Amino acid sequence: MSGHRRTITFTLNGRDVAADIGVHQNLTEVLQESFGLFGARESCGQGLCGCCTVLVDGQAVTSCLSLAAFADGSTIDTIEGLADGDTLSPEQEAFIETGAFQCGYCTPGFILMTKQLLDENPEPSDEEIMHYLSGNLCRCGAYAEIVKAVRLAGQKRKA
Amino acid sequence: MHFFELAEPASLQEAIGLLGDSGGRPVAGGTAVMLMMKTGVFQPERLVSLRKIESQYSQIRLDSEGNLRLGAMTPLRRIERSADVAAVAPVVTAAMRRLSNVRVRNVATLGGHLAHGDPHLDLPPVLIALNASLVVASPSGERTMPVEDLFRGYLETALAPDELIAEVIVPANPDQRAAYLKHTTRSAEDWPALGIAVALTLNGGTVETARVAIGAATDTPRRLTSVETMLIGNPHNDAVLQTTGDATAGEAEVHSDARGSAAYKRELIRVFTARAIRQAVEGDRA
Ligand SMILES: Cc1cc2nc3c(=O)[nH]c(=O)nc-3n(C[C@H](O)[C@H](O)[C@H](O)COP(=O)(O)OP(=O)(O)OC[C@H]3O[C@@H](n4cnc5c(N)ncnc54)[C@H](O)[C@@H]3O)c2cc1C
Ligand code: FES
Ligand code: FES
Repeated sequence: MSGHRRTITFTLNGRDVAADIGVHQNLTEVLQESFGLFGARESCGQGLCGCCTVLVDGQAVTSCLSLAAFADGSTIDTIEGLADGDTLSPEQEAFIETGAFQCGYCTPGFILMTKQLLDENPEPSDEEIMHYLSGNLCRCGAYAEIVKAVRLAGQKRKA
Repeated sequence: MHFFELAEPASLQEAIGLLGDSGGRPVAGGTAVMLMMKTGVFQPERLVSLRKIESQYSQIRLDSEGNLRLGAMTPLRRIERSADVAAVAPVVTAAMRRLSNVRVRNVATLGGHLAHGDPHLDLPPVLIALNASLVVASPSGERTMPVEDLFRGYLETALAPDELIAEVIVPANPDQRAAYLKHTTRSAEDWPALGIAVALTLNGGTVETARVAIGAATDTPRRLTSVETMLIGNPHNDAVLQTTGDATAGEAEVHSDARGSAAYKRELIRVFTARAIRQAVEGDRA
């Protein structure tokens, strides 16, 4: 049962996958090292900025503070799985159309949080949007456009 | 991070058997444990995950007396969204709004929040004011302990190494009014510079019972009993509130930290005590 390494299996962006991991590794590291997925990236490393956001069993989590071992048996969705082939998701389209980023470093986290917010609350007020996204930081300061992007994404999802 | 082993027992009893002399340290949501391991302040050889123990420990229910029973493994976000919690202890629901962020609340558990023993957390003063208690499980059975008695020092609790929090009980008290005020000095959902919770019952214009607890300013969350004594049996008018605020000055040894100096925090306690009492009195059972 124990040991410093183990093999985990989970569903990643709709595909069944397995990975040989170190028990001490966090989920951000494993997504990058075993799967070449760099959309979730570690910035603060402390749960404060949201750059490492992924959805585990449909819930947004801070992958820099999640042991990869806990992902065994779960379903994980990252930003890379959001588009359907070349067709972007409504949230992705909305961020592009409103120009809700400059460098884009924080964008995967904001888009996944937007998706989860709209899943829970399809018509959030601006105040609800700002409160829900308060755990995501954008160093380029695109906050005003991000709030517009969330509103637009809500409209697109209804259309 | 350092290397360690991870055990994932399927029951609470099995988990307890892996703690203590067996060398394991519990992990629930892991948000605090991961931060401590990343910075190297905590380097356990073996972690015992509670994530696969019986599902009853992540449930919220009302018992036959209407008391709220929260399984220790319940994520904070589920507590935030529970209609039962909003009905019995709306002050808990309200406190969740500014407790960290959605992602952390999705994962962090109530048991981990309390057992962490960090004086800067939001729920300890709230649960102390509500007179909540813990069901603690150990190899020799279960015991019940007031939340107030859990905290012994900075990151130090009254739990033995082979004890686990199994459940938190919040007593039903339909006549009680409560409020929690959190003051932050960096961003809205930061750890508090001061957290203060008040729970009281009124008889006409007079305060009948009162419990007041603070966090983040002292080395453990604690009650302000001198304030409680001044309130009980008195009207809740501005004059009384003024004196209760002033009475806080001497009661607790206040510590400086990155979010405020001791002098600043003493002033916060003075001002926020009166504000929290006023909010509890005026709110509709908030
Ligand atoms: C970015 C960030 C911001 C935060 N902001 C706030 C904030 O504003 N306000 C606030 O109050 N908190 C805040 N927190 C702290 C957060 O509330 C705690 O980290 C969390 O509640 C701990 O729960 P957990 O289940 O993840 O505990 P874990 O990390 O799993 O465990 C914490 C401790 O409890 C022990 N333990 C766990 N479960 C049990 C049990 N059932 N019985 C006995 N021991 C147990 C563990 O061994 C460990 O010592 C923040 C955390 C982060 C990462
Ligand atoms: S890198 Fe994980 S929250 Fe900032
Ligand atoms: S777009 Fe640069 S950090 Fe947000």
